[in-house]
Amino acid sequence: MSMETVIEINGLTKRYGSLVALNKLSLNVKHNTIHGFLGPNGAGKTTTIKILVGLLEPDEGIVKIFDREVHGDQPDIRLNMGYMPELPKFPKHLTAYELLDIYGRMYGMSIQERHERISELLELVGLKGREKDLIGKYSRGMLQRLGIAQALLNDPELVILDEPSQGLDPVGMVEIRDLIKRIWKEGMTVFLSSHLLFEVEQICSHVTIINRGVALISDTIQNISEKFSGISVLQVEIANLSDMIIENIRRLPFVSNIIQDGKVLNIELKTRDDVRPQISQEIIKSGGIIISMSLKGKSLEEIFMELVSKSHG
Amino acid sequence: MNKHEKHSPRWITGFLAVVKYELLWNLRKKKFWGMVVVAFILSTLSLLLPIILSNMTGQPIKQNPDYVITLNPLGSLGFFLFAVVTVMNSISGEFESGTITLLLTKPISRTTIFLGKLAAAFITLLTTYIILFVYVAIGGIAIYGPQNNLHLLPISLLGSIVSTFVWIAIVLALGSLSKNSIIAAIGAFGIYLGASIGSGIISLFSEEVWILNYIPGSGATGYIKGLGSQTPFTPGMSISTGTDNIATLFTTYLLHPLANVTFYKINMISQVPNITELYSEPLSLVLLRTVSIAFFYIFIFLFIAWYAFKKAEVLD
Repeated sequence: MSMETVIEINGLTKRYGSLVALNKLSLNVKHNTIHGFLGPNGAGKTTTIKILVGLLEPDEGIVKIFDREVHGDQPDIRLNMGYMPELPKFPKHLTAYELLDIYGRMYGMSIQERHERISELLELVGLKGREKDLIGKYSRGMLQRLGIAQALLNDPELVILDEPSQGLDPVGMVEIRDLIKRIWKEGMTVFLSSHLLFEVEQICSHVTIINRGVALISDTIQNISEKFSGISVLQVEIANLSDMIIENIRRLPFVSNIIQDGKVLNIELKTRDDVRPQISQEIIKSGGIIISMSLKGKSLEEIFMELVSKSHG
Repeated sequence: MNKHEKHSPRWITGFLAVVKYELLWNLRKKKFWGMVVVAFILSTLSLLLPIILSNMTGQPIKQNPDYVITLNPLGSLGFFLFAVVTVMNSISGEFESGTITLLLTKPISRTTIFLGKLAAAFITLLTTYIILFVYVAIGGIAIYGPQNNLHLLPISLLGSIVSTFVWIAIVLALGSLSKNSIIAAIGAFGIYLGASIGSGIISLFSEEVWILNYIPGSGATGYIKGLGSQTPFTPGMSISTGTDNIATLFTTYLLHPLANVTFYKINMISQVPNITELYSEPLSLVLLRTVSIAFFYIFIFLFIAWYAFKKAEVLD
């Protein structure tokens, strides 16, 4: 396994009685990526995550984290890992500060480290000023924020988040997405499950789509998008569009067709290479002024629906 | 050094974190404080009763220098109830509420979590019992005058803790296996009630009272001749041999090391009720056997609880 791979899952199978929750699932999560784990309800996302964090035992297959095989109760592996379950539950009789302090002790943090890190995290997740309240008095959104804070307490290398936006209002969802991007920039690897496709599309670099316990695809979002997009179309809006501009673009070797819609040109491409610089150059050379330019392909949602529908047969 | 590079915390650090986690839970449970209040009310009533009777009858309170050492403020039901309120939620409650998920994903082993929870139960009980015993001792001195053998109180207290731990082990085992606090409490109560009723039936109708020495609870009742008051049905000081009675067995043994315990069958069926002597054995043997059986139950049930916890999967 490459040292750059943080999570490696090979042939993972988990059964609950006669129900096969995971069926020879395989996927890799690379270092310092935000890896989305997508699937409909009951696809096996939470089961996979619970096996990763040691809450469930696999029936078959190999799971490795930081190049170490996960089996049974291994506290050492969890030392460098943060985990937030879907709708996290906390002891209601403790305050947020008490809970984070106790968890910090479990990570072996000194009193000063705990104090500094807890203050920093409470500020980060927006719970500053409420840390002395009993958790039993917290709202759903506050519990979710506390869930994120405890997952980041040990400044882990790998953060596993199970539906991190669940229960949050739109503002909270944006804040969580920004937070995930921030911790990724700090060097953490983030593995997050979600059924919110736009969320994954916005923040993830890699994605695995799972259904009925089987990984349907696992790659970078860009590669998946290219693979499923069919013809690439470049949409360009030009202020002073003329026939000469259209003809000059049509002569480019990688252009197969052009459809005009007012000031907008939909340029169908023969290649998957990024040819935006060449097309921009040609438009400017022909005297055109580009207002906007975007490469059109299938959205993750369309790809997801296509894959899931196919897997249902 | 890599920013993320970390070293495993010392075992004791994780253990003490669990102890603190559990102690805070124990001390903030309403049912625990309810039980403490009930225990204090009952102890207070037992202390006040002679004062009330004295006021009603006009008779002065008789001095009793053995009051404190012969009275255990908790008793069999007290041990059982304290065990239930202290640990019925320790493991099963965490599974029911879902809080176990985060606890099990921290870098401490399940064995450490289990031992931390046990240690917290021990500290909770020890503190509560010390306060209760001191309260009864002060009350006893105030009402019955100077007391003999107060130096044996710590032994009595430790014996009470061991007796409670038999029930704690049973409640924890049922909780770990079922992951349900109600099943743990009701199951343990069923065992307690079954053992109590079984003891009564066997004592009344069978000559095989020795069986009672091997079940948790109050056990068989024997008598030490020459001690205590003698009536046609109580040929001496009565003493129970069960795991709930370790404190009394210990203090009685320390005061009367050569005493023998004699067991009887009460014949209630004949027209004139009478008692038949079955067998006698040294108090030292009774004590040794009872302590061994208590530790056997503690070990077996704690092992079952630990193993079930170690292997438990978190499904919900």
